[in-house]
Amino acid sequence: MRGFGWGRSLRHVRLQWVLAVSAIAAAVALPVVLISVGGGVSAHELADLQNAGYQIVVSAGGSHGISGAHALAQRIARIGSVTVASPILSVAIDAFNSTSPTAPVSPVLAEGVVPGQFTPTLGPTESGLFPSPLPLGDPTDLVHYDNGTYRGPATYDVLVSTPLAAAKGIRVGQQIVLSPSTNRSLGVAYNVTGSFGVPPSILGPTGAFAVLLPLSDLQVMTGYGPANASSVFDAADTIEVAVAGPVSDNPSALTHVRDEIQSLVPLYGVTSLLQEAQQLESASAVLTGFYLALSSVGLSVGLIFLALVLLRRVETDRRSIAVRRALGLPARTIAAGILTEGAVIAALGALVGTLAGYVVVESLARWATSTVQEAASLAVWEPFTLGAIVAGVVGLSALAGGVATRAALRVEITEALR
Amino acid sequence: MNDGVRPPLIELSRASRTYGARTADEVRALRDVDLAIQPGEFLSVEGPSGCGKTTLLNLLGLLDSPTSGEVRWDHRPVGSLSDRDRSRLRLTGVGFIFQRFYLLPTLTARENVELPMRPLRVPRTERLRRASGLLAEVGLEGRERAFPHQLSGGEEQRVAVARALANRPGVLLADEPTGELDTGNTRAILDLLVRVRADRDATLILVTHNPEVSNRARRHLTMRDGAVVRDVGET
Ligand SMILES: Nc1ncnc2c1ncn2[C@@H]1O[C@H](COP(=O)(O)OP(=O)(O)OP(=O)(O)O)[C@@H](O)[C@H]1O
Ligand SMILES: [Mg+2]
Repeated sequence: MRGFGWGRSLRHVRLQWVLAVSAIAAAVALPVVLISVGGGVSAHELADLQNAGYQIVVSAGGSHGISGAHALAQRIARIGSVTVASPILSVAIDAFNSTSPTAPVSPVLAEGVVPGQFTPTLGPTESGLFPSPLPLGDPTDLVHYDNGTYRGPATYDVLVSTPLAAAKGIRVGQQIVLSPSTNRSLGVAYNVTGSFGVPPSILGPTGAFAVLLPLSDLQVMTGYGPANASSVFDAADTIEVAVAGPVSDNPSALTHVRDEIQSLVPLYGVTSLLQEAQQLESASAVLTGFYLALSSVGLSVGLIFLALVLLRRVETDRRSIAVRRALGLPARTIAAGILTEGAVIAALGALVGTLAGYVVVESLARWATSTVQEAASLAVWEPFTLGAIVAGVVGLSALAGGVATRAALRVEITEALR
Repeated sequence: MNDGVRPPLIELSRASRTYGARTADEVRALRDVDLAIQPGEFLSVEGPSGCGKTTLLNLLGLLDSPTSGEVRWDHRPVGSLSDRDRSRLRLTGVGFIFQRFYLLPTLTARENVELPMRPLRVPRTERLRRASGLLAEVGLEGRERAFPHQLSGGEEQRVAVARALANRPGVLLADEPTGELDTGNTRAILDLLVRVRADRDATLILVTHNPEVSNRARRHLTMRDGAVVRDVGET
């Protein structure tokens, strides 16, 4: 008994503890990262959908697939409970400095909109980024469009995004030349009448260099609605449709409106954002389940490791266990000791793992490359979910503790005390 | 002190204990031992090394079961008791002083003595008081906080004696309790055990090689090759 080597055994135990805690921590860090980042990204996209100022989108395949956009938007707007229908055309064009012909060209994303329809379809986060009303001269875009002829006078007003304005030194009151191609001579000079902020867009085209101009001006410039043509495409990519408040929250009423629009345009896609949100939510639930399944592999390994460490402790403590049994200490005291030790290791591991997951995500948010960084910065830390993970791991540690307890209670007293 | 009509407290009938049965190193440590021990007896067990003294004590103290034959405690066959019942009996009824002491190395002397009181929910202050009192009785006043590796062999042995007395057991089984002690301490420990036995009418069974110790006992067993070859004195 003397020189039982308890100093040495303590060092051993400490090392085993550190290893077991690390194994559990590694197993816990993975789901913590996956769930918090995954949950953050889908929550953000969901919020984007729910905060949009419109609830239904009409879209068509191919480039600028919707024709007769002005007329179609007006017909949709006449449907009961539709408040606004806003056609939008997005085209990549080129911008030139109006005074210095040798200055380099900048590719920009041009958005053609009907100004008076566009503003009401902005969500609360976006609407602060745009001047209201949009200073684009022709609020309904019907002065220039003039019954589908493009015969009215164009305003040649444009709004530029603040990043573009800052990068190119463009100020309100100046002019810029916009051209459908890198050939400056095909371009037209536009008056810069204002600027707009760029929403923090995640995991999508950033559109930081963007301009906003009347739909008909962009259509004429890009040839989708040639000036003075008798038959024109009047093209748009999408028509965003906003409905009256009570309908927007009511899935069946919203579906009814969607069906009505669909019957107007049987060949185009008509989706309600509520549907999309529901799809996104179920997709994110599937993903979370998948993350947990993936993590369960790591967690199993961690728990097996914990069981091995506890078994090893039972092995080295065989004599002490036998002495306690010989003195008549009840089996449950011995079980409680082992289970507590397992639970403490598991709890420590789970806490360290949660902390490690947090540190990993925070460092990604700070130092990773752009997309990863953006995703990481969206991570949400839900105390309930994290608590559930920690509690689950501590609960599962009882399995490892149970295995070791079984071994401990099978120690033959007289064998161990030889 | 016995009137002869008291029923035996512990009874062995044709009890054998074989280690490693049906293997190359099979050892028949006890062979068909018949033995009846009355409550309050004071019994010494002698015999050469390896003759089965510790094995016998293990059976008497419910640490082990015979491979054949029967052990009865209070007329109940030990084989019919659950593991839980046997633990309980050991905890409350038996004080075991192991040949190699077996103190828990991570506990202090006092914690070792307190250990058997814990499952009985003895209040903390009472536990401390009783443990310190017992340590004082075995001459270890002031060494309460020492760990076993900080104690001499004789001191460890005395802590083991104190621990065996912690729950005031009715049966004391001592496997060479004075093996590591000098004459003075041997006498002191022996006096303590004898006094405890007399005070509580406890049963005291001790294994010893020391004639001074065995002379104090009333009944003397001698063992050889796993069998009781001599059984003299009053029962
Ligand atoms: N667990 C065991 N496995 C195998 N053989 C054992 C075991 N325990 C004891 N023995 C053997 O049984 C015999 C009796 O052992 P025991 O410990 O009872 O002797 P003892 O009389 O107490 O000896 P000592 O005076 O040296 O303590 C010995 O031959 C011993 O080697
Ligand atoms: Mg022995």
